[in-house]
Amino acid sequence: MLSYLLRRLLFAAFLVFAVSSASMVVTRLAPGDYATGALGIGASQEARTQMRARFGLDRPFAAQYWDWLGRAVRLDFGRSLAYDRPVIDLIPERAANTALLALSALFLATIVGLPLGVLTGTYRGGALPGTVRAVSVLLLSMPPLLTSLLLVFLAARTGWFPIGGMRSIDSAVTGTGALDLLWHMVVPVLALAMPLTAMFERLQSQAIAEVVGQPYVLATLARGVPRARVIWRDALKAALRPAASIYGIVVGTLLSGSFAVEIITSWPGLGRLMLDALRARDVYLVAGCAAAGSAFLAAGTLLSDAALAVVDPRSTE
Amino acid sequence: MLAAAAIGCGPAPADRPPATAAQGIPRGGDLRVAVRTEPQSFNWYTRHDGSTYIVAALTQARLFQVNRATQEVEPWLAEGSTRSADGLQYTIKLRPNIVFTDGHPFTSEDVVFSFAAAYNERAGSILADAMKIAGKPLHVAAVDPLTVIVTFPMAFAPGLVLLDNMPILPKHKLQASLDAGTFGSAWGLGTPVAEIAGLGPFVLAEYVPGQRTVFARNPKYFRKDAAGVPLPYLDRVIVEVVPDQNAQLLQLDAGGLDMTGSEVRPEDYAPLKRAADAGRVQLLDLGVASDPDSFWINLRPGAFAGDPRAGWIQRDELRQAISLAVDRQAFADTVYLGAGVPVFGPLTPANKKWYSADLPHTPHDPAGAKTLLASIGLTDRNGDGVLDDPQNQPARFVLLSQKGQTALERGAAVIRDELKKIGLLVDVVPLEGNALVQRFLSGQPYDAIYFQFGMTNPDPALSLDFWLSSGDSRVWNLAQKVPATDWERQIDELMAKQITATAEAERKRLFDQVQRVFAAHLPVVHFVAPKIFVAASSRTTNLTPAVTRPQFLWAAETIAVKP
Repeated sequence: MLSYLLRRLLFAAFLVFAVSSASMVVTRLAPGDYATGALGIGASQEARTQMRARFGLDRPFAAQYWDWLGRAVRLDFGRSLAYDRPVIDLIPERAANTALLALSALFLATIVGLPLGVLTGTYRGGALPGTVRAVSVLLLSMPPLLTSLLLVFLAARTGWFPIGGMRSIDSAVTGTGALDLLWHMVVPVLALAMPLTAMFERLQSQAIAEVVGQPYVLATLARGVPRARVIWRDALKAALRPAASIYGIVVGTLLSGSFAVEIITSWPGLGRLMLDALRARDVYLVAGCAAAGSAFLAAGTLLSDAALAVVDPRSTE
Repeated sequence: MLAAAAIGCGPAPADRPPATAAQGIPRGGDLRVAVRTEPQSFNWYTRHDGSTYIVAALTQARLFQVNRATQEVEPWLAEGSTRSADGLQYTIKLRPNIVFTDGHPFTSEDVVFSFAAAYNERAGSILADAMKIAGKPLHVAAVDPLTVIVTFPMAFAPGLVLLDNMPILPKHKLQASLDAGTFGSAWGLGTPVAEIAGLGPFVLAEYVPGQRTVFARNPKYFRKDAAGVPLPYLDRVIVEVVPDQNAQLLQLDAGGLDMTGSEVRPEDYAPLKRAADAGRVQLLDLGVASDPDSFWINLRPGAFAGDPRAGWIQRDELRQAISLAVDRQAFADTVYLGAGVPVFGPLTPANKKWYSADLPHTPHDPAGAKTLLASIGLTDRNGDGVLDDPQNQPARFVLLSQKGQTALERGAAVIRDELKKIGLLVDVVPLEGNALVQRFLSGQPYDAIYFQFGMTNPDPALSLDFWLSSGDSRVWNLAQKVPATDWERQIDELMAKQITATAEAERKRLFDQVQRVFAAHLPVVHFVAPKIFVAASSRTTNLTPAVTRPQFLWAAETIAVKP
């Protein structure tokens, strides 16, 4: 088990390195650069040259990359060109905001989606399972971008929830920080969680239906053990494998999905920071954001692998 | 020795009533504004994004300021100025008893320091280009704590308008960073807000990364309204980062915002009109924008060497034919959903002072366009509806445009369709904005571009980078060492006279001539300028909107909100 987790850890480190390097290479090699965007049309060629020299953008790309790599292994991702601050200062707060959003959505989707999946997987007929199934299919077909636009529209029309942002202006003064944060999280978390809940419901529904049909479950039921106990205690554990195995991918999906949700709901997360960095051609910040994003993905995959190893020890072989 | 005062003959700014000042303007309250991106810095000298401009507009002040609504220059920190007989030297008297937000007195030393910082490109200033005349800096000297002498390198008709580019910075706060060569990083976003000192109507109170910047009233601000009430009226300006324009619109409609940092998109007009009719917002029509769209063909000599199209693609007749072939009114209706105005030159009627209404208005004349094209050898030789050159090759070029800008994407499609009707084939290729700009700034090959860029100042003498052949905004053939054509030489000569002429009427006459030469050769074809609509919540009052961004916040000190 330990060697298995070590192997996954090594893979996670490689993933972070590969993704951040690739994003830096792609951003640097794409046409246009920071000086062009920052100075715009009308700036003299000398001004552009001077700015490139000041930020080291005039050096050969290989030299820039090796320098960056040398520092990156010490967790120094360079200095943001646009903000003129160390990338490592800019990322943690935004990454924490994104993680808060993603983990809340994951938690909500798990506690709602899995039980609903068990319900629809074990009770095939009836109005309630049918309605749940229909809603799930509808939500699955809606991308988070559309869901967040709809929710923002509803929030604007009803006034029930804030339309955007993370905190109200005077929440620190009034001492309502935590409640205010929760209130602001409703729209973005729902936007992320709704399609995810539907996915978990569909997966779990199918998995539990298969397990319930297994001979050992039927035999247990035949021995007179109450159906609810069999399903929730015995069958559920065996049916968790598909959901557990996609948790890592789900974390990745959440991060890419949160990109759009963060823009629509003005959530100050990593996705928005990366978008601004890409627009500005801020190569070091793009690489830093990509490293943070891939670290999330790696952590999610690792967690997923660990969960799978617990649920099904055969997966470590 | 000194001639009459050029600027500042009127009352001093503290006594000058704001354009819309009136009795009974409510005082206090918060104004909530949305911008799409957060500022890159608190220092306008080192970063020029729109949000950093708002920070500068709210927290800093200039010696002279261009009134964005009237386009007149007004003394601000300066009490007035006198100009020497040769027009080269200005003696500027500063207003007494002004202090920075930290209580430090404002003196001529701060002005001299600000110029030194602006011209220090090594230390990270990107303001130098905008503060030079013909590539040469102004010389500034302090005579006494309240007097500075600014010497221009050559006669320059707009004079002190140039100083509108430069907010005055506190020497006592920033001298050390300039000396250390770290000015480029000074007042970055990591700086504690209490460290930022300014002379503007507001003071930076809070910065929450990715969320908002809060500005509180500067109690030491020097201006008062006509009734003697200290400005600004507002307690706070809260600038929220709302990246998505649809979300901005929803928040404005729902009352969560008072205004946005930019104009209304054509597609947002209808919902906002409904909200305005219902009394939830104010929708203001500011008239035509100051910057039209731009279509140009690569006119760099040798750009098409070895290309079979070299015989016709850079000819004046091609651009004239394109101008004739496009139905500008239909263009405005399609691209701007009716909220556009046909234009025929780089200046629009928004530029009240310098726009020439006498310029010929190109009619929509596809037959005339075909005749012009035939004169350069482009005719339909095989009857397939496509024009062919003398080598029987179809007349075709690639039009680059900016991806993600709805108006430009639609506009490029309209141009393609209109030119197809006269037999010219156009392949539209949208590029990401930064890549597109670098394409023509770096001299990489291209055929034609459809884009929108702004001349930053209405006075043509302050847009020499566009009007002179040596200019860096001469998009069709950048930074020419010598004028590439006779007509460009002619424009250079006219502009040389125009920027030194002292009589305004003579300047206007010369610039009208420049516009006529430009229209005759059409290095850039302009089709339409959008109409500018801005929206604000119904509780905002005493607004002085201008067509240029930020339409409201340039005059934030006089904005008020109803309780």
